[in-house]
Amino acid sequence: MPSWQDFQPFIVTGLALGGVYALSGVGMVVLYQATGVVYLAFGAVGAMGALIAWSLINAGAPGWAGWLVCVAFSAAVTLGYGTLFGPPLAKRDPLVKATATLGLLLVLFGVMDLLWTTSGGESRSITLPTDNSGFSVSGVQVDWTQVIGFGLGLAIAAATAVFLRYTKLGTAMRAMANDREITATLGVPVRRVEAAAWLGCGVLAGVAGILLADMVALDATTLTFLVIYTLAAALIARLRSIAFTFLAAIVIGLVQNLLTPISSVGNYNDMTPFVLAAVALLVFSRRSVVSRSREET
Amino acid sequence: MAGTAVAAAGTRQRPAPRRPARGTLARAAVIAALLLFVLLALPQLISLYYVDTMTQVAVYAMVALGLGVLVGRVGLVSLGQVAVLAVGAWVAARLLFATSQPFPLVLLETGLITMAAGTLLGLPALRLRGLYLALITLMFAGAIAIVLDTTNFPNGGHGFLGYNGSLVHIPPIRRPSIAGSDPAYFRYSVVVAVLLFLLAYVHIRTRPGRAWAAIRQSEPAALAAGINTTFYKLWAFALASFITGVAGGVYAGAVHYLYSLDFPAQDSIILFAVVLMGGAYSLWGAVVAALLLELLPAVLNNWGVSADWLTILFGIGVLQVLTTAPAGLADQVPRDLARLGRLLRRLATSGGAREAVK
Repeated sequence: MPSWQDFQPFIVTGLALGGVYALSGVGMVVLYQATGVVYLAFGAVGAMGALIAWSLINAGAPGWAGWLVCVAFSAAVTLGYGTLFGPPLAKRDPLVKATATLGLLLVLFGVMDLLWTTSGGESRSITLPTDNSGFSVSGVQVDWTQVIGFGLGLAIAAATAVFLRYTKLGTAMRAMANDREITATLGVPVRRVEAAAWLGCGVLAGVAGILLADMVALDATTLTFLVIYTLAAALIARLRSIAFTFLAAIVIGLVQNLLTPISSVGNYNDMTPFVLAAVALLVFSRRSVVSRSREET
Repeated sequence: MAGTAVAAAGTRQRPAPRRPARGTLARAAVIAALLLFVLLALPQLISLYYVDTMTQVAVYAMVALGLGVLVGRVGLVSLGQVAVLAVGAWVAARLLFATSQPFPLVLLETGLITMAAGTLLGLPALRLRGLYLALITLMFAGAIAIVLDTTNFPNGGHGFLGYNGSLVHIPPIRRPSIAGSDPAYFRYSVVVAVLLFLLAYVHIRTRPGRAWAAIRQSEPAALAAGINTTFYKLWAFALASFITGVAGGVYAGAVHYLYSLDFPAQDSIILFAVVLMGGAYSLWGAVVAALLLELLPAVLNNWGVSADWLTILFGIGVLQVLTTAPAGLADQVPRDLARLGRLLRRLATSGGAREAVK
């Protein structure tokens, strides 16, 4: 068993990654609440934004321009998808809506593999200026990117919770989570509220894309399927509670990283989100078939 | 109803008219002729490259058939079928290295072991439906991929895992003695695939098929009609896992060497997309899906076109299928062709009429 010293750096990386999962998870939960869509292309959009940013920065553009383009791209694609495919699928089953985002995922994935091919063994990376400076807490190096990751996750989760609770738009989103038809009857501009949710989700996807490209790897496949970690956090919170999404994301980040130094399970640490999400799904779904089917129809 | 909506969309336009016996006979004759052609003539006509490709088509037709049973018949969406295929390949490789049993027996055992594993996974998943079931299968697939990444595939080593890390003198996974060459193995795979298609056909045409259809339409109604929904859903999981497991065994023999890289996570998603495009509601859909999934990339590769275009195409295809054509290509193309034919005929007759007026 490794000593406590060995675990300390992994606490820091775990919290930082957990923060980024949290801010992604919040984006997914808000979108699901407002539109009923589980946005599986979340990671792919961010990945493509990050790759575009990498290309721009490599071509000599200043860093901030690259990051802005990344966020703008994610927001534009997400909003575009939402306005194009949201309304025709609005009355379909959540499964169909989620499957359709898999279509977007495949399109983006193909484009990324085509334009930024990985077969040549070329490795890319995005470094933020906050990577190199930092401080140390009881002997553990913490860089500012990690602080941003955790801090942004916390801030976005808190801000979103307040936004949903106290603003008019937030109230409208919560109303739509209950019943889209009745909300529309009450005079809420349903499509505009949905568009706002898509836009917000897209912005968060872009931010998460840049941060994960820096913290994990700038690689289309990795970033695209990191969405599963985020999804796991959102599922543990039953795609409902912002606070639980945040907590679950932090736990996933921590457990996954803290298992790394334990040699017997180190290779399996990537299973954490899958196992946690599977257990959560099973525990939360213990209700009888008939009562739930009435609820859903 | 969450679990059935993908399916329900497709059931809307299926008024099953009773076909006369002659049509059935004619269809059986066409299938038999096609099969004879594929078995006897095809391997002679195409290069070895395409023989290998067509073997993969046979394998993936079985995998698509398994997913088609789940999605099209029962309305259960699984996003982890490629992981099940990997499990089947692992079990088959382990059995083939450990024993000297005849190949068909190993395939049968592989199917049964994979069936047990798949049913065990399906057991807790039975509580879930629709979106949540799809997501949990995605989670299981991710977990299985990581386990296989760590344990590796058997390559003739010792111990339970049968993995030998030394990378020298790795024996190939053996093939049946009657099908050592590539064309012979292709024929062998087609025969196995045909047997599994018959198995699925028998299921669909008899009691389980009717129970599945009832569950797909409405689970509470099926329950009220006295159908043991849990049992028949598990049966569907078992059948799909059996088919996919056998496919894994055939795959292991086809490629000789197995690597975890051969079963990437995105393949499960692409498979699901392609099955939706091919049409999950007919058995032909599985063949169409396999051709899209394996033959098309090989053809494009031959032409020097990147297979990424296909991924893009599949993505667009999913969006198109979900928004406009829920029954997939196997249903849509014949209907579109019929519509085109009607249109042309009408154009011809109206054109002719105008000529006559002049």
